[in-house]
Amino acid sequence: MKKIFYSLAVLVVLTGTACQKKVTDDVVPNDRLSNDLAFSSAQKIENAVLGAYNSLQNAGFLSGRALLYVDLQGEDVFDKGVFFGDAARFNMLSNNGIPAAVWTAGYDAILTSNRVAEGIAANASLLTTQKASELTAECRFVRAVSNFYLVNFFAQPYVFTADASHKGIPIITKSFSTSTPEANQPRSTVKQVYDLIISDLTQAIRDLPQAYTSTYATKTRATRAAAASLLARVHLYRADYTGARDAAKRVIDGEFGTYALRPTPNGAFGPGNYQTTETVWSIPNNVNDNPNTNAALPQHYAGNGRADLAVSRSFTNAATNTYFAADDRRRTQMLAAGPAPNTAFTFTTKYPDVATRADWAPVIRYAEVLLTYAEAAAQAATVVDADAVTKLNLVRDRSRVSAPAYTVATFPTKAALVAAILGERRIELAFEGHRLWDIMRVKGTVQNKYDNDGVSLLPAQPFGANKSIWPIPQAEVDKSRGVLEQNPGY
Amino acid sequence: MFRLTVDDKIKTLVISSLGYGQKEIALNSESFFAVRLLQQDGGLDEVVVVGYQQIARVNLTGSVAKVSGKEIANRPVMSFDQALTGKAAGVQVNTSSGLVGDNVIIRVRGAASISSGSQPLIIVDGVPVTQGNDGQLYNPVNTLADINPNDIESVEVLKDASAAAIYGSRASAGVILISTRKGQAGTARVTYDGYVGVNTASRRLTVLNGEQYNTVINKMRAAAGQTPAAAYADFNGDGTIDPVSTDWQDEVYRNGLTQSHQVGISGGTAKTTFYASAAYNDFQNYIIVNRQKRMSGRINLTTKATNWLETGMTMQYSQTTSYGLGSGTGGGLSGVPFGPLTAYPNIPVYTANGSYYLGSGGNTVFNNTPNPVAVQNLNNDTRQTQRLIGSLYGEARLFKGLKFKSQFNVDQLMGNTEQYWDKLVGDGSGLAGLAQTVNNRTYVWSWTNTLNYMAKFGEHDINVLAGSEYTRRRGYGAYAFGTTIFDSLFRQIDAANFASVGAQNFTTVNNGLASYFGGINYSFKRKYIATINVRGDAYSGFGRDNRWGYFPSAALAWRISQEKFMQSVTAIQDMKLRVSYGLTGNSNIGDFPSLATFAPTQYADIPSLNLSNPGNSSLRWEKTAQLDIGVDMTVGKNIQIVLDYYNKKSKDLILANPVLATLGFPGNSIIENVGQLSNTGFEIGINMPVISKKDFNWDINFNGAWNRSKVISTNSNNGDIFGGNSIVRPGYNMSAFFLIRWAGVNPSNGLPMFYDKDGVRKQYDHLQPAASRWTKVDDGSVTTAITATDRVVHNDKTPYPKFLGGLTQNLRYKQFDLSIDLQYSFGAYLYNNTLQNLMVTTTSRNKSDELLNEWAKPGDQTDVPRLVWGDNQWWQTSTRWLEKADFVRIRNLQLGYNLPAQLLSKISINRLRIYVQAQNLYTFTGYKGMDPEANSNGNVNIGLGIDSFRPYLPRTITAGVNVGF
Repeated sequence: MKKIFYSLAVLVVLTGTACQKKVTDDVVPNDRLSNDLAFSSAQKIENAVLGAYNSLQNAGFLSGRALLYVDLQGEDVFDKGVFFGDAARFNMLSNNGIPAAVWTAGYDAILTSNRVAEGIAANASLLTTQKASELTAECRFVRAVSNFYLVNFFAQPYVFTADASHKGIPIITKSFSTSTPEANQPRSTVKQVYDLIISDLTQAIRDLPQAYTSTYATKTRATRAAAASLLARVHLYRADYTGARDAAKRVIDGEFGTYALRPTPNGAFGPGNYQTTETVWSIPNNVNDNPNTNAALPQHYAGNGRADLAVSRSFTNAATNTYFAADDRRRTQMLAAGPAPNTAFTFTTKYPDVATRADWAPVIRYAEVLLTYAEAAAQAATVVDADAVTKLNLVRDRSRVSAPAYTVATFPTKAALVAAILGERRIELAFEGHRLWDIMRVKGTVQNKYDNDGVSLLPAQPFGANKSIWPIPQAEVDKSRGVLEQNPGY
Repeated sequence: MFRLTVDDKIKTLVISSLGYGQKEIALNSESFFAVRLLQQDGGLDEVVVVGYQQIARVNLTGSVAKVSGKEIANRPVMSFDQALTGKAAGVQVNTSSGLVGDNVIIRVRGAASISSGSQPLIIVDGVPVTQGNDGQLYNPVNTLADINPNDIESVEVLKDASAAAIYGSRASAGVILISTRKGQAGTARVTYDGYVGVNTASRRLTVLNGEQYNTVINKMRAAAGQTPAAAYADFNGDGTIDPVSTDWQDEVYRNGLTQSHQVGISGGTAKTTFYASAAYNDFQNYIIVNRQKRMSGRINLTTKATNWLETGMTMQYSQTTSYGLGSGTGGGLSGVPFGPLTAYPNIPVYTANGSYYLGSGGNTVFNNTPNPVAVQNLNNDTRQTQRLIGSLYGEARLFKGLKFKSQFNVDQLMGNTEQYWDKLVGDGSGLAGLAQTVNNRTYVWSWTNTLNYMAKFGEHDINVLAGSEYTRRRGYGAYAFGTTIFDSLFRQIDAANFASVGAQNFTTVNNGLASYFGGINYSFKRKYIATINVRGDAYSGFGRDNRWGYFPSAALAWRISQEKFMQSVTAIQDMKLRVSYGLTGNSNIGDFPSLATFAPTQYADIPSLNLSNPGNSSLRWEKTAQLDIGVDMTVGKNIQIVLDYYNKKSKDLILANPVLATLGFPGNSIIENVGQLSNTGFEIGINMPVISKKDFNWDINFNGAWNRSKVISTNSNNGDIFGGNSIVRPGYNMSAFFLIRWAGVNPSNGLPMFYDKDGVRKQYDHLQPAASRWTKVDDGSVTTAITATDRVVHNDKTPYPKFLGGLTQNLRYKQFDLSIDLQYSFGAYLYNNTLQNLMVTTTSRNKSDELLNEWAKPGDQTDVPRLVWGDNQWWQTSTRWLEKADFVRIRNLQLGYNLPAQLLSKISINRLRIYVQAQNLYTFTGYKGMDPEANSNGNVNIGLGIDSFRPYLPRTITAGVNVGF
């Protein structure tokens, strides 16, 4: 009996030690990577950089929704499906989920790019000097993109005050590993945010590659052309017309590679057209990685998708969209009535891939660069600028049918030219995330905006109205314990 | 019959027998007495399983509630947890919805944590079992439904530290021990238990009918100066408008069929005993496609192999199939009851040719809820699990009093979920049809070794335990999907039949626990009793330096009734005072909370890498210190009373701390040890035989518990933590509601009024220009808007009941028996998000008929403001939707008849009982929503108490039979 007892005791102790290890030390994750390994090779570092783009590609942010919101609050679409509720009516409450999702995704992208840039710096020995500066520049580009969208959603436009000294968003330029109060920053001024964006983009233009080994990467990762094009837009929003003109000109002049319009206005949209010369920078989606049924662009916009957003009569009627000719190809090729039961409504055909929900989000398209150049050059000049007219025609001529081509003589004044360019911009870039901000940056009023039925007019939103910008998400204001100041009216 | 001669000085005769209550007889002139002793459940030799040993109830120092199997058996519910409702003091069992297969939430003595799990550890015959969700698709499942409740012999709930601490790191939220039936030596007994019944929705909300809908919607539209949006249409094509009024609830609800059949065999010899059962349970819910059925088999076997070695096994294998879990996505477009409550009532179910009507009639389409009947019937959502729960053990008697036991436990679960969304309707239409599957497997093994020494030296009883236990849990899943289906008849995911298919593997659980424990229970004269337990646990999920946690406890008990000075107090037959103090932990914290990790991601076609967890290497065990003071006593005519006071303090709470988005952590949270929480409470349990006569018995069993959960501190800067409409703020009650205060409807103008944070009443008029919509009620001056800054903490309003429990009455008259189970709960509040959603003015979905009470003219006293389309303020989140959730529920009512034995003996039947019963017969409550227990936020601690489109509980009426051969 004693022998049994002792041998049992030995057995239990021996197997016990092995078991203890098996159920504690040996338990390691197989679907994740410990962070000390995250920057342990050149390939992993590059993948982490791509993770920053992946953060932008968030379903509530730049894989489509962020672009959509800018049109949702403009007058060219109406929220037929009441999918977006109060957002379309400038009537959000501070706990609305849309601003919360955008804010979170935006800062996730900013913090991811900061974290990865720090990882690159700390592991620079694994990379060539050039590669390290290229990858860092990609991080800066992602941060600039994110800051640009956030500051425009959550703050009044740059031109709201003369020196842009009104409240912007918190500026975060580092990353954190614990919940430190360092992350609880008050809102910087809009000028400070724009200054950071400009500095990030300037570094990006300097250090980024012109192209990657695959066209896919060249169209979806940051390039010098993408950074310069965004910088042109940033300057345009600041009403710095020479800055905008000069940045756009470098892209148009081919300094960063060849970009050109496709022969027809539908040539840059839909499967097969994502990687053409007209695409400067897009956020890609594919069948396995997309914003899915409730957030994908084709789901919201296409007549055979969820069909939430129909094109409003403000856009289709010449009375409220002066430069939109009856036989314009963008009317005949880019708009269509929906299938039953939506036959009475008009939809855009820019996002046709309902089946796989993989339409790319066209963040920067070459047509925008041309129109930005045209507007900035027109504004910067004292008279009707010939080059501005030329660039405007590049965009307009491929869609123009019976309307005569513009010449310098068409425009009695510089203002008439600018109005034509803005009108063209509205038509050409419709449903691509520009409209509301194009109105606001020139201190315009959102008017002729229709409610869910497409018939009832909503009240006009004058420039600077409290609810023309979004509430800082209430949860963030709460968590900041008063450091984050809420926008007036919320 | 016995004869006794006594001195005539003796006036009282006391008759007692072991295991029975004693009886006193006052001696008078009579010389013949018929004495009947009642069997006493709490008898001296009753043993209670606590932890890894059995202890005589008299020597117990902890707070343990015991529920016998017969109180659980034959209830028309699929899982034993639901049958526990109201049965044990301090145990809150919340059936969060009427969807069969949905999660059940169990809280022992309040919430043990702020954001970690608060579900108690559940152990079946020594096997810790997987509970809660398990790798399925979106919808919740209750994996406890895999266990056949009819096999249960008893359930013990370990509530205080003395009882639970032996389970150390898993015991903060209490421990539920389940023992299944064992055989007895003797002739084999065969039993059959079965019932058949029907169930219906126990409640219904009412919504507008076709005509009311047209009126209300168009009135709202007109008030905002907009065109009418609701109208009938010509559905049969005869050129005239067809007034239609569809009650969608009628269309998707039915009388569901419920049945259960179980055959059991038990018996044994002096060396071997066995219990075996085979069972089939089928619960077709009142929701047309919702059903759960289970086939299960069990074998429990014990053999004395030699005079020093005993071996045994317990094993249950079951297959559970749940249908239509998707019905309970509730608030989703395709869910029930969202669908039937919000679909247009002025359109028909079917077209003239009998196919589903999928249009929107004459209505202007803003929001369309897809045809709920079509959604239920065309889509499907089925989950099937195979579950094996078993253990094998050997127990060797090494020398007198010393036993070594080694037990190996397995809980293996294999699940298969198949979901199909048809392309015709609902969410599937946007994808042109979707099929999804998940195959998952969870495998838990544990190995327990214990040495147990029991001895009696004179008046000293001693029981010493030492042991080790290793537990490993792993779970995997494989997900596949296909969209754009070519032929709806073939639903197997295959590139030949779907335009796109995809697949993904995932890990559901991956952790391990190594434990060593020991304890001493010592009793002197069975009067003074002391217990000391300690357990050390190492959890794989912590950093190496913080892996070990130690959980000691100590307790004292004094059977004061055994003292001389108490002997004269004849009213008290037995009385034990208990006090215990100890630490327990919580390991419901996820697999690798402390490890900072990156996970592979994709940027469309390009592989990428993103932070998946910020990690926290200094994360350590969450611990709960609990003081318990209790009294167990038997007084008067065998009335048993158990009283307990407790004070639980949980500290180093492991919290998924909601942090600023500017930190850039996934989910805006980081796992940290933060905060302290206290739960203070008082529990009472009374078991009272009111009448005990030969032909008539009446027992009352009452239990009640008061609990208060208070937040002592939170995170490093002691900030507020928000969840749903609740707040966790230091010094306040746990999860108190945090809402804007509703001030009613202004009778003079019908505008909604709210209090701002300073108590100033403001009203909102949507028809004014944006800048002047908010005015002060008192002087009409334009003022600032009511916003989130006007929320206030409603400290006395939390989703946790202040007082809850149950009252069970058992009556027997001759061959008839009747039992009535009442469940009650007072002091909890519930946010009626369902009603709020049914009264919105920005969508054209169908709405609550409460809108018919709207303010119409000056002087109207009503709680419904005037109706204006597009106004999102008057129905905004506020105390308007916060309601008391007090209720008393007739949980179960059962009337049975035992056929007389002399009749049965002729047909060789031992026992035959027939009965009828009703489950959830009626609920007395003032609550207006789906159910006063409704919970839409799953198994959480903050943010409980939201009722958002959870299906009503079923009311089930069954007739059954219990036969023993």
